[in-house]
Amino acid sequence: MKPADIPALQTQALEELDRAGTPAELEEVRVKYLGRRGLLPAIMEGLGALPPEERPAAGRAANAFKQAFMARLQECRARLEQTEQRAGRRPCDPTLPGLWRGLGSRHPVSQIMAETIRIFDQLGFTIADGPDIETEWHNFDALNTPADHPSRDTQDTFWLTDTLLLRTQTSPVQIRVMESRKPPIRIIAPGRCYRRDRTDATHSANFHQIEGLYVDRKVSLADLKGDLTHFARALMGADVKVRFRPHFFPFTEPSVEYDFSCHVCGGRGCRVCKNSGWIEISGAGMVDPKVFENVGYDPETWTGYAFGMGVERLAMIKFGIDDIRLLYDNDVRFLEQFA
Amino acid sequence: MKVPLEWLSEYVDLSGLSPQEIADRLTFSGLEVEAVEAVGLRAEGVVVAEVLEVRPHPKADRLQLAVVKAEEGSAPMTVVCGAPNVRPGLKAPLARVGARLADGTLLRPATIRGVTSEGMLCAEDELGLSDDHTGLMELPPDARPGEPLERLLGPADTVLTVEVTPNRPDCLSLVGVARELSLLLERPLRIPEPALPPSSGSATERLGVVLEDPVGCPRYTARLLTGARIAPSPAWLRRRLERAGVRAINNVVDITNYVMLECGQPLHAFDLRRLQGGRIVVRRAREGETLQTLDGIVRRLTPAMLVIADSERPVALAGIMGGEESGIGPDTSEIVLESAHFQPALIRKTSKTLGLTSESSYRFERGSDPEGAEWASRRAAALLVELAGASVTPEFWDLYPSPQPRRRITLRFERARDLLGTDPGADRMIHYFEGLGLRVLARDVHQVEVEAPSWRVDLEREADLIEEAARLYGLDRIPAADPAARLAPGADDRPIRARLEVGRALSALGLMEIMNYSFTSEKLLERVDPTDRDRWARLPNPLSADHAVLRPSLLPQMVETLGRNRSRQCDEAALFEVGRVFFRTADGGWGESERVAIGLMERSGVGALDEESSFRRLKGILESLSCALRMPPLEKGGLRLPAVELEAAEWPWAEPGLGVTVRMGRQAAGRAGVLRTDLRREWRMADPVAVAELEMEALTPHLFRVPAYRPVPVHPSVDRDMAFLVDESVRHADVLRVILEGAPPELRRVRLFDIYRDPALVKAGRKSMAYRLTYQSATKTLTDEEANAYHDRIKAGITRALRAEMRE
Repeated sequence: MKPADIPALQTQALEELDRAGTPAELEEVRVKYLGRRGLLPAIMEGLGALPPEERPAAGRAANAFKQAFMARLQECRARLEQTEQRAGRRPCDPTLPGLWRGLGSRHPVSQIMAETIRIFDQLGFTIADGPDIETEWHNFDALNTPADHPSRDTQDTFWLTDTLLLRTQTSPVQIRVMESRKPPIRIIAPGRCYRRDRTDATHSANFHQIEGLYVDRKVSLADLKGDLTHFARALMGADVKVRFRPHFFPFTEPSVEYDFSCHVCGGRGCRVCKNSGWIEISGAGMVDPKVFENVGYDPETWTGYAFGMGVERLAMIKFGIDDIRLLYDNDVRFLEQFA
Repeated sequence: MKVPLEWLSEYVDLSGLSPQEIADRLTFSGLEVEAVEAVGLRAEGVVVAEVLEVRPHPKADRLQLAVVKAEEGSAPMTVVCGAPNVRPGLKAPLARVGARLADGTLLRPATIRGVTSEGMLCAEDELGLSDDHTGLMELPPDARPGEPLERLLGPADTVLTVEVTPNRPDCLSLVGVARELSLLLERPLRIPEPALPPSSGSATERLGVVLEDPVGCPRYTARLLTGARIAPSPAWLRRRLERAGVRAINNVVDITNYVMLECGQPLHAFDLRRLQGGRIVVRRAREGETLQTLDGIVRRLTPAMLVIADSERPVALAGIMGGEESGIGPDTSEIVLESAHFQPALIRKTSKTLGLTSESSYRFERGSDPEGAEWASRRAAALLVELAGASVTPEFWDLYPSPQPRRRITLRFERARDLLGTDPGADRMIHYFEGLGLRVLARDVHQVEVEAPSWRVDLEREADLIEEAARLYGLDRIPAADPAARLAPGADDRPIRARLEVGRALSALGLMEIMNYSFTSEKLLERVDPTDRDRWARLPNPLSADHAVLRPSLLPQMVETLGRNRSRQCDEAALFEVGRVFFRTADGGWGESERVAIGLMERSGVGALDEESSFRRLKGILESLSCALRMPPLEKGGLRLPAVELEAAEWPWAEPGLGVTVRMGRQAAGRAGVLRTDLRREWRMADPVAVAELEMEALTPHLFRVPAYRPVPVHPSVDRDMAFLVDESVRHADVLRVILEGAPPELRRVRLFDIYRDPALVKAGRKSMAYRLTYQSATKTLTDEEANAYHDRIKAGITRALRAEMRE
């Protein structure tokens, strides 16, 4: 064979490889060209018979042929193998249900707590807590609620001893924090509270509150309104408004109750807000000077605001839950809705 | 407090305002109106009719024909009627043609089953008086036919229910509410000025009043009225009382209640003839004394209680309730009228001790107006003259040894501005104060000094005045300041955040959070975990047996929760709870700590797990949790294992052999196990249940550990497997121990990938275990020969130590 014929042979060989439809046919082509008596070894043998000046070019052409042939052979093999495998395998069914990986979930009350903590985190509040079993001092006396005052009646209490009780509110955490630290103070305190309420759709003998306390120089009611408005919007939606109504709590003065505008109807009136456009949330106010005196702060120097909120109530409002008992029934079909 | 608007308008002009507008004004200035309720007749043109005769309806079994007289002297009318109580002689409301019913229906002539009805006899609901539709409204027998019903029942009205906060006893009265409205509406307050007729003679011979305890009773007043005739009160008075929620009794009692509701001063009337010795003594009760109060109950008294006594015995529990024997009866004619001021704390204490409250004690314990006692007495006396035909006697006993000074308070305008974050203006604030009855003593550009009126017991300090200014200015006019992030230095809340993190980790591991009550029942504890009974935190005064103990453990409720879900066809659950548990301490104190419970209820039916697998699933969760909580792994040879160590233990609730103590992060953390079969069957849980309870404190110490980087291995690892037969009693831990004994430092990982038993093996008491061991050097690529040498040495150790038979 002449060196000049090698490229044509190469083209022909590659075509034959491409045409092979089965591994056996491919093997036939391989043997035809690469086998011991194949065409390529023959070319290699014939190189020695060429005139010396033609040998190098012919050798290069022969090597190029061999490499191209080997590469194409690999490709064709892979192609045939794949085809073969696909043919032998059952078809995939992508419509089969996903292999479900069980999701965990947080209780709606925990979710509201976590969300509230996150929101106040942004404002620089840190978390504080206190015991469920409290002293009368922390739960009442220090909060300007003496034993002979009727304001104690609004919180029917589980007494454990003459001076120990299950806290009726998270407000005692305010006292604990102020007793142990100097101002400025900026805390929120989530926790469980207890009252001797018969359980019904809106009452539970234990429930959760989140307390907020901010003490510094010149804290004002306007700050309270601003911060609660921010909270309302972050928790319930950007359009929610906050409304204050005057109220009375022994440990704040002025005291307010605050409402959120209804996040469901936007304040137009619906079932959730009982057609009033507003949803009653909880109480707040400016820390009473007597409370500051009780913890050894100078009420002339320091002012502050405090607020409390019922977590169950927020959860019920946010998620549209109409019976507080569902939150303590722990029915998986209920809880999985909050995953 | 219930406030009928018709009554209220006697003290302040309410014209031009809807009830809702009035309610809103009150609510947004601090007197929250909880309800606005329409009461009274809502129909027009309805008159009294007398039923003369009742005949059957010719064409309808259920209907009757009533012949009624609708006006004196006019011809009887026939109406069709289906009510069960229609009968001759009955006086009932009649709506004639042209009348309008409560729902707006205009009455037209109607033919009912062929009979023309000239009107309609009405039930209460048709008149808007109530929801009652059981029969015709029955009117008093003396009602006159033809009399407009409106004249008989009085006009329609609206009643506001006001929530008066404990600091505002002055608003437990119509005048108090009117005073607020007078300021809010800028309309004058109209307080009646009662005048008594001239009197003659003297009553000092007949009545003596002694005040023994001027601390408990700073002021006691009394007067004597004679010749009263006990009778029902006039209709207008009865109606006002009833709309204010007080039952009418007789004219004398009604007048004392009326004046109390009017001005907030509780009054009491005694029958002079029943006061031994004609004496009133205000004193502490003596040990052993008793008093039968008006509610019929005999009360045991103590010297801590203040009583009104005659010369021999207590006749009233001061400020709370009168005695049965000295009260006004049908034959009373001489009345001792008490109007006093009692110390709030004393009244409250007695009321609490006896579990006895009344409209009177409610007001006294919040604080009555000591200076209002005289007005109230005069007002009631004038009404007794007018409405009970009584005569006044000239004396007015007024024992008020040390009149209480009025409080003076200074308000600094700047302080008000700072606290409110806005400036209502000095003039405006002073205007509010004056409208509330405060007297301005002095003012300059910086501050104002005022004197609080005697009825405002809540005004003591500057903060109280700022609150008054804020609520009257309107909280809606206080701007909302832009929220600003600000850090209070020095607060480290990481321990608390760490606890919150545990819940997050468990939910990330696929568990669902539950929340149970802190209360539980002894019954449940006895069933599931009856350990340490003497340390249970039993409530001294529980709400019910189901809520009698503060939970000593989260496990019993976890089991109950799983069981309850099982009974609701839930076939699989993986739950956790984070909560506090409670206990009594050795010295009798009360303690609490935070725990975490985990509960797994395995799927039933296809794919059900056995108890061992359920336990392993629980253990896997604990191991993952230890990693999530950054607990440093246990280092064994070159192996790094999750920081969970279990040791066999017996728990009352655990299946024998499947209960363990749990150590996590190298410290005692809690208990775990598979629930006893008989226990889970009580809740009909057919398949295994695994539970664990861990102390929160043990879980969080490592959470903020900063991971220390170790170089990632660069040289390839080599896997080698082994499978062998061993006795059934050989445990994974035994295999691991032997592996570690023979292991080179290059052993990185040991993975049990199969346990196999076939009938033949089981019969022989053997099982097959298969492990994959991974070797890796930090410094070079291991050769096959090196890996094989390590592996062969370990295999030899297992063969030798565990009577194992290697499978090739």
